[in-house]
Amino acid sequence: MATDTQPNRDVSRTLLAGVERIHETLDSYGLVPTVTNGIALLFVVWTLFPVYWMVSGSLRTRSDLLATPPKLVSTALTVGNYPELFAQRPAFYEFLFNSVVVTVGSTALAVLLGTAATYGFVNYEFPYNLGRFHLPFLVLTTRFLPPIVTVIPLYVIFDTAGLLNTRLGLVLAYAAFNIPFVVWMLKGFFAELPDSIVEAAVLDGHTELGAFFKIVLPMVRPGLIAATIFTVINAWNELLFAVILTSNTEAQTLPVALATFKTAYAIQWELLTVAGTIAMAPVLLFAFLVREKLLRGFTMGAVR
Amino acid sequence: MSLQSDTAIGSRYESALLWVEDHLRWLLTLPALAVLAAFFVYPVGRAGVLSLYRFDVAGRQFVGLGNYVAILTAGAFWQSLWITAKFMFFAVSLEVGLGIAIAFVLNSQVRFRGLVQTIGLVPLVISPTVVALLWQLLYQNGGVLDSLVAPLTNGPVPWLSDPSIALYALVLPDVWQMTPLVTLIVLAGLQSVPDHVQEAAMMDGAGRMRRLVDVTLPYIKELVVLVLILRIIGTMRVFAKVFVLTRGGPARSTEVISMAMYREAFSYGNYGRASTMALLLLLIAVAITYAFATVSEVEF
Repeated sequence: MATDTQPNRDVSRTLLAGVERIHETLDSYGLVPTVTNGIALLFVVWTLFPVYWMVSGSLRTRSDLLATPPKLVSTALTVGNYPELFAQRPAFYEFLFNSVVVTVGSTALAVLLGTAATYGFVNYEFPYNLGRFHLPFLVLTTRFLPPIVTVIPLYVIFDTAGLLNTRLGLVLAYAAFNIPFVVWMLKGFFAELPDSIVEAAVLDGHTELGAFFKIVLPMVRPGLIAATIFTVINAWNELLFAVILTSNTEAQTLPVALATFKTAYAIQWELLTVAGTIAMAPVLLFAFLVREKLLRGFTMGAVR
Repeated sequence: MSLQSDTAIGSRYESALLWVEDHLRWLLTLPALAVLAAFFVYPVGRAGVLSLYRFDVAGRQFVGLGNYVAILTAGAFWQSLWITAKFMFFAVSLEVGLGIAIAFVLNSQVRFRGLVQTIGLVPLVISPTVVALLWQLLYQNGGVLDSLVAPLTNGPVPWLSDPSIALYALVLPDVWQMTPLVTLIVLAGLQSVPDHVQEAAMMDGAGRMRRLVDVTLPYIKELVVLVLILRIIGTMRVFAKVFVLTRGGPARSTEVISMAMYREAFSYGNYGRASTMALLLLLIAVAITYAFATVSEVEF
């Protein structure tokens, strides 16, 4: 604290004193809970309204959805937009299928390679130490690399390698981008394991590799689940790589379909809202099911 | 399979197993390292080579450092950096400012705090592409936002088609999506302040403000630095929202650096120039990350 510069401290003191005065005034009228609950409610409405608007839009006719002034609640709901989207060309289910394949494939690969590498990094000494910049640290720094930096040369590389417009290409690219993420999420879990655990298992007659599968992996399961969740969400949502490295329904994913919807289908909001809802639904459902793990995941690395 | 039975299997299997055990550290890490080398190191190297060529209808031509000179002396690159910096400044200050404020509110007397936290996850898990569409729908002419600001304006606002407004219309969806991240992280920090520490300070006669400055702030200082880093890095790479909502327009007023590079490579086919810009951006990213790694004690 002693190192804080004086002017900075003065500004924050004045600011806090202001907040404190507001708080005292509200407190004297017993209004604090009213105001805090009011702000919380505002936050909830602000957060949920855009999502509600798209989901409800997918169940309306175009004129109802785009009415001026907007009708916040519709009385004439229809599910007709859903079959209509799937009747369009190019076929919507192809994008959906590509998204599922790419998400599952890249997640499996990233979690597998990332877990193995984290275990290796945590348990063994590595050469090439350059102060803070040892090998595991360098792996983590790739997280800070803007993806646009690598995707342009990658386009040229994929072109010569025949990986352009293939699901395999996207699986590999997403796995590469998610491995540092998996390492980052898992390293805490592996570091917390007592050193003696593998030794004890080896004394019990396990091989070192056997100990890894039978003893270590089950103990870091919460970390594995968290890493998997985040990798799935990252892969399902990614646009930049997909839009650059794919060119038609052979490999294009949902976000590409959505981002280029205007040109692919002409702008038809009643269908675009359906497509958007279908893209959101799995991650929202997933997020709701694992909300505790997600909350901890988002705050992890921060708090742990 | 029982591991004890391993010894019963032939000696070739046993020696293979020994070899595996001896080289386990590399067997575990090399696959991941190879993928990272292929998708990070090699492309950056390849960009270095590509940046020395000019691509046009005549094919590729070696131009030495010509691309670097052209980009650094022309205004377009600096212009897109400036647009990125503006986007970064407005988005990050709103996200961090609002995020911290909401975290403090949620940390006080609030009903259904758990539910509010869960709702905060909603924007975070949605694809930036979909977020852009959510807002494009809200920005519709005569749509929800227009009727919301109607008392203050005369007629619909050209949110995405006015060069002086469009960039702010891109900041808003980013603020909507990422403010909850700041809130969730800071709130977790606030809740990690042990009650007995607060109580002890209160016993010592510390007022609310003293407790905030001397007890609470030290607990969240590191987290605030962390979210700042996360959001600066995050806004520097913004692409999907720009791609969906404006494609860099109108009149290039929202052409952030990633959009400018996309255009150079895939509209003009000039991979050499795009690669040069990529390397310059890499330099900036490394400088920012290094600065933060040095200044802060946050462990990556």
